[in-house]
Amino acid sequence: MAVKISKIEYYLPKKILSNNDLENEFPGLNINKIEEKVGIKERHIVKEDETALDLALIVGKKILENYDKDKIDFLLFCTQSPEYYLPSGACILQDRLGLNKNMGAFDYNLGCSGFVYGLALAKSLIISKIASHILLITSDTISAYINYKDKSNRATFGDAAAATIIEQSEEEQIGEFVLGTDGSGYKNLIVPNGGLRNRYNPNAKEIDEGSGSIRTDNDLYMNGPEIFNFTIKAVPKLVSKTLEKNNISLEEIDYIIFHQANKYINEYLRKKIGIPKEKYYLNLLNTGNTVSATIPIAIKDVLDNKLIKKGDKILLVGFGVGYSWGGTIITI
Amino acid sequence: MGVKITNIEYYLPEKVVTNDQLAKQFPDWSPKKIEKKIGIKERHIVKEDETALDLALIVGKKILENYDKDKIDFLLFCTQSPEYYLPSGACILQDRLGLNKNMGAFDYNLGCSGFVYGLALAKSLIISKIASHILLITSDTISAYINYKDKSNRATFGDAAAATIIEQSEEEQIGEFVLGTDGSGYKNLIVPNGGLRNRYNPNAKEIDEGSGSIRTDNDLYMNGPEIFNFTIKAVPKLVSKTLEKNNISLEEIDYIIFHQANKYINEYLRKKIGIPKEKYYLNLLNTGNTVSATIPIAIKDVLDNKLIKKGDKILLVGFGVGYSWGGTIITI
Amino acid sequence: MEKMNIKDFINELKDALEIEDEDQKITLETNLKDLEEYDSLSVLSIIAMIDKNFGKQIPSSDFAKVTTVNSLKDLIGKKHFE
Repeated sequence: MAVKISKIEYYLPKKILSNNDLENEFPGLNINKIEEKVGIKERHIVKEDETALDLALIVGKKILENYDKDKIDFLLFCTQSPEYYLPSGACILQDRLGLNKNMGAFDYNLGCSGFVYGLALAKSLIISKIASHILLITSDTISAYINYKDKSNRATFGDAAAATIIEQSEEEQIGEFVLGTDGSGYKNLIVPNGGLRNRYNPNAKEIDEGSGSIRTDNDLYMNGPEIFNFTIKAVPKLVSKTLEKNNISLEEIDYIIFHQANKYINEYLRKKIGIPKEKYYLNLLNTGNTVSATIPIAIKDVLDNKLIKKGDKILLVGFGVGYSWGGTIITI
Repeated sequence: MGVKITNIEYYLPEKVVTNDQLAKQFPDWSPKKIEKKIGIKERHIVKEDETALDLALIVGKKILENYDKDKIDFLLFCTQSPEYYLPSGACILQDRLGLNKNMGAFDYNLGCSGFVYGLALAKSLIISKIASHILLITSDTISAYINYKDKSNRATFGDAAAATIIEQSEEEQIGEFVLGTDGSGYKNLIVPNGGLRNRYNPNAKEIDEGSGSIRTDNDLYMNGPEIFNFTIKAVPKLVSKTLEKNNISLEEIDYIIFHQANKYINEYLRKKIGIPKEKYYLNLLNTGNTVSATIPIAIKDVLDNKLIKKGDKILLVGFGVGYSWGGTIITI
Repeated sequence: MEKMNIKDFINELKDALEIEDEDQKITLETNLKDLEEYDSLSVLSIIAMIDKNFGKQIPSSDFAKVTTVNSLKDLIGKKHFE
């Protein structure tokens, strides 16, 4: 039994936060540098009462438009911006998308590696015949965690949701997976308060990270340099292991899509690993880093722009918060 | 190739809340009545700074005591009491349990159906060769969500964590799955605030549910009658579909373990479905309803007490928050 | 469809509410919420009683409106009774 991705859609919330907007808020902010080095010009941000579930609903409806929704027998909802502690957002989506009740559904809590993990779960569920047509939705509203005065993270992240349908296929179109976890880095990309370890604290003190970024423990904290260190150690190995496990060389790969963290890190990794520029996706200009949605957005993007064609082999590489990472190869 | 459960362990936090203690706080409740009607005498509750992750760590260490932990190549962490919004608790567990980095790990957000779903995921991952030795931990600290003045929910729920190892086996020892979802019931078992739909509200008003149970929107809300209605409709069908899918009759099943919701509901369902008392697990006397841990605790319990033996076929049935439900048959 | 007579219905109700006192009179006019035995646990018993005898589930929001035994009977549906 083989599997394939049959459809992808994505949705960016309407409100836009541009570099110019940021410059107005943070005078002295070098927006040329943001566009050139970080590779971001604008990012889409949810309205105040808009959640990752709302985005998931919109993109879910979009992908089911020309699709027999009764075929869907599993819903995987990847988010780190949960609607509730309980129940699962996936259960609510089942109802609101009008899907069959005879189906499995759950939320899982990964970020930048979430899409690759989602493909692994979908492939497994289909091979083991527990499901046959799987809807995978990755949706995050990281903006909701970012302190208004945290110029660094406000410049980096954007909100988005993507939906992907995975089904059986004649030929194997989703390859072997390499998955990894290193929780020793958990503190380097974290929202300290709000879960059950530390509850939300209405009196949380402001912390000045230096370089003009201010946050509280209720907000997202990211240690950029540590994350960079982690990617330098983990990603080249992840790429070679994924190629090896799939019995294929870098030269035989037609296109490479990494999680779009930021232009600087992604370009550095490209050079370190030796990936030719022509077959390497690097674009977060209008989206920013959308966490679990970056890879499906990129796939849709290169498909729509005919940068890849039927039969092409695409290397997908996700890495980040956790730390968690995953790689696989898909055939278009 | 088949899969099987090889080890189960569970852990109950040390602090105990008895019916007598509750009766002191709620004078119009008789300890005898609670014990008689819902089948609970005491429940274990976490200390103030103890989380579901802490319990998971303890039970994880316990199950790995006589086990080669390097074999573990996937960690599934089922919880609705997350440590953080991000990162995943599973990543932290990987590090604190000293597990291999070459493994997948994530949290998933289900409650009473969580263990059955966990078995489904584990089986899929092994059959598709993405993993070979899977550690499934189900852990919840629902007490953290319950208002001190909510006598009904304080009487019902307890905290616990369970760990299960699933591996390949020669014979198939985990059968076919029936999974279901109905999000139209999402409001009937919910913590309204704390996720991103409604943030934690330090000024949340007290709501009197009547019958002496008081809560705010920061706390757990459970509509007992609606949940009961749901189980009456869904569970008999789930049982018959699971038996049918596994090509087996109720008579051929050696033992039946339902999610332990409360004695009244579980006994009613037993009679309605026509399950003989002798092969039906019904015991939450010393644990209360521990959500995702009830089924693995029950399996361990009947194994330890030799109520089941090698070769026995056990029907597992989980149902609840979401709404979400799942059934399967395991062979000991 | 087999119809239930009122006497049997009231007996089933007394069982569900665990009213052991044989002399305690329950009539159609009795207000359920005034009964000492009526609490969140007894609502579960009434749900069970209705499922067992009539094969239907009543939404809990309707339950909240129940006052007298007669109103419960109406909720279940007059057609189920003699």
